[in-house]
Amino acid sequence: MIDLSNEKLIDVNDLKTYFHTEEGTVKAVDGVSFEIYPGETLGIVGESGCGKSVTSLSIMRLIESPPGKIENGEILFNGKDLTELNQKQMRKIRGNDISMIFQEPMTSLNPVYTVGDQIMEAILIHKDVNKKQARQEAIDMLTKVGIPLPEQRVDEYPHQLSGGMRQRVMIAMSLSCDPQLLIADEPTTALDVTIQAQILELMNSLKRQFGMAIMMITHDLGVIAEVSDRVAVMYAGKVVEYADVKDLYGDPKHPYTWGLMYSIPHIEKDLERLEAIPGNVPNPLNFPEGCKFNTRCQFATDKCRVDEPELEEVEEGHYSACWHVDKLEERKAKEEA
Amino acid sequence: MEWQEVVVRLFKNKISLIGLILIIFFGVIAIGAPWIAPPSDPSEPYMVPRAGWGFEPQPPSSEHIFGTAEGQYDIFYGIIWGTRTAFRIGFIIVGISSFIGILVGTLAGYYGGWFDEVVMRITDIFMAIPFLIAAIVMTTILGQGLRNVMIALITFGWMNSARLMRSQVLSIKEEEFVIAADALGAGDFRIIFKHVILNTIFPLVIEASMRMGSMVITASTLSFLGIGAPEGYADWGQMISFARNWILGGEGNAIKYWFTVVIPGGAITLFCLSWNLIGDAFRDILDPKLQ
Amino acid sequence: MSRVLAIIGWSVPTFVFGLIMLMIFYGTLGWFPPSRLDSWALDIVNSTGFINYTNFFIIDGLLNANFAIVGNAIRHLIAPVITISILWWAFIMRITRSSMLEILRRDYIRTARAKGVTENVVVYKHAVRNALIPVVTVAGRMVLGLLGGLVITETIFNIKGLGQFMAQAAQQLDYPAVLGGTLYFGFLLIVINLCVDVSYAIIDPRIRLE
Repeated sequence: MIDLSNEKLIDVNDLKTYFHTEEGTVKAVDGVSFEIYPGETLGIVGESGCGKSVTSLSIMRLIESPPGKIENGEILFNGKDLTELNQKQMRKIRGNDISMIFQEPMTSLNPVYTVGDQIMEAILIHKDVNKKQARQEAIDMLTKVGIPLPEQRVDEYPHQLSGGMRQRVMIAMSLSCDPQLLIADEPTTALDVTIQAQILELMNSLKRQFGMAIMMITHDLGVIAEVSDRVAVMYAGKVVEYADVKDLYGDPKHPYTWGLMYSIPHIEKDLERLEAIPGNVPNPLNFPEGCKFNTRCQFATDKCRVDEPELEEVEEGHYSACWHVDKLEERKAKEEA
Repeated sequence: MEWQEVVVRLFKNKISLIGLILIIFFGVIAIGAPWIAPPSDPSEPYMVPRAGWGFEPQPPSSEHIFGTAEGQYDIFYGIIWGTRTAFRIGFIIVGISSFIGILVGTLAGYYGGWFDEVVMRITDIFMAIPFLIAAIVMTTILGQGLRNVMIALITFGWMNSARLMRSQVLSIKEEEFVIAADALGAGDFRIIFKHVILNTIFPLVIEASMRMGSMVITASTLSFLGIGAPEGYADWGQMISFARNWILGGEGNAIKYWFTVVIPGGAITLFCLSWNLIGDAFRDILDPKLQ
Repeated sequence: MSRVLAIIGWSVPTFVFGLIMLMIFYGTLGWFPPSRLDSWALDIVNSTGFINYTNFFIIDGLLNANFAIVGNAIRHLIAPVITISILWWAFIMRITRSSMLEILRRDYIRTARAKGVTENVVVYKHAVRNALIPVVTVAGRMVLGLLGGLVITETIFNIKGLGQFMAQAAQQLDYPAVLGGTLYFGFLLIVINLCVDVSYAIIDPRIRLE
């Protein structure tokens, strides 16, 4: 059980990241708030385009600026506001205190340098060691992520390794400086299912070993269920539900989350049909007025089309941004019956 | 991308606008040559009139706006009529070589197999020969004169179009709408023309416009070396060949004869520049969409 | 901006550029004369005291410890070298630029930044080597064009070399000479292409193992 009374590791408050393009302003992240405590895994789940990647890139301050810009909000890391730091200061944090791994292991490593070289690069930048020590540390990391024959592999090039192994290398690289937070943006989406399971297990075990927090971003509800302690569900640039993982899955309190649960098969439930959520994710250049989910929500009323709901605590530790949680509860009760 | 949209964007882009204006400017001069610089001998308008027999080039004056080259050839006349020559050279060479290239490339790509291999090897051989050298060699064989220069440049200028066309055809060939047309029974030729060529024309347009410039430069280089247009012909490169002695020979005085080089050279440069600008702008407009 | 410069550089005919260079830098300023050496230097080189190991004046000058010769030879080289290469500077500049832009969008660049690598290192270490790959391809084929430019440059600057030889042979309709010269060019081409392939292997490890 996570001790929530600890100092928050990450505290994101009302983050707004907009992209100013020729065709209009894309409000990729429009008022997002959440916390991450030391040693826990926060899952961020949502469909493509909901703003989860942009959120993580905003934390790392890796947003391409033009056209993107963090318009508003604060990102507190151990109390320090990351939005106020300049790039030089951020560089000390990246790879060192906060690390990130990405979705595509096939293209995320530089093809012309050895794997060892790239791991050592991170070590040499942030730690005060010489090349020989760095190389040894790189080999140690490769062992920790489960790559056989690390002394050999360390001198190989990315194209000589499989997708799963490359992702392990990415993990090794990101953990080489013992970060407090690892941001993982769809780390297993591009991998085979069996490899997926291995990588997730690896991440969990490393989390225990290193004592770090993980921000796991994915669209895959299965992955979220397996690794997260708490979850934030994002839709169209906002967090719509925020709760403990068990509460989220057992008792979803937002129509979107509930819709997601019903659109995938459950081992325990005996459904006659899988109900996809009708409609499509709205065009980010043209979000609907009011609650952004209203166009697809079966509980939508006029109020939903005008006023945008904010995250409110519906039960202890369980937040939802919806005007009609009660209607959802009624419907759920009917289903159970 | 529709033609209309391409044209609109061409006008909006500042770079291509400059190129377009320049080309139109040159075009107007070319068309209006008989009025702007009336020929002294109407049956031979391309022979530049001489204002005398003196050797030394005369600087620009009220009588000869751009001055005279060695042998008193009127530079102004040469520039004006040279514009026509430039367009002629450019259009003929690029037109014919592109046609050959498109034909070769399309057939090779469409039919594939050993035919494709053979054609590609032939193309490779042609490409392996340095362009200028090849042109020089060919003109040596064929003899002096603009027409032979054009033949030489066409002979060695079609390869890029062919390769481009072929790669386009190869990528389109597997596209569904081509297979669909085939399945519907549309004849070979119809498929090739309608679906393949019309869809792949854009990169060729880019290439062709860039080559307008480079062909004119090469042709003028050959004229400069004495292999192209005959002496006294209204061709920009030809006019510069007169300047050679005066630039090299003069000690400390070379700049006095700047007009013999700068004016015709500037004409060539601007002509080529305008086509390059347009070709470049085309590439900008069409490329991100192609990707 | 650099793109416009590149396009302009690509539009100026080599011989025009060469002539203008001569006009300004030799005719008026007298800095960079044509030919390979001044007459006084030529006298020294042809005299008995000077040993011509290679007939490359710069190297011979060094070997004979005669720095005046070296300096003079270099001075004569500057204008022709610039003339012949300016066209290709422009071209390579464009290609390198667009290649770099393309590479900087790649995932591994993002990874490098996420590691805390400084922007300089990202560009010069991570991006450049990858961007160079297509540039080298082009550079190889470009040598062909360079040989063509050689013809003009040597003619203008009055340097007795293969280029001038070819130009004169063509003018005089000397078929055997033209053919022989072409053959030699072809040979040079093959050698150069070999070098390009080797440099490929040096830059890109993916190619080495094949």
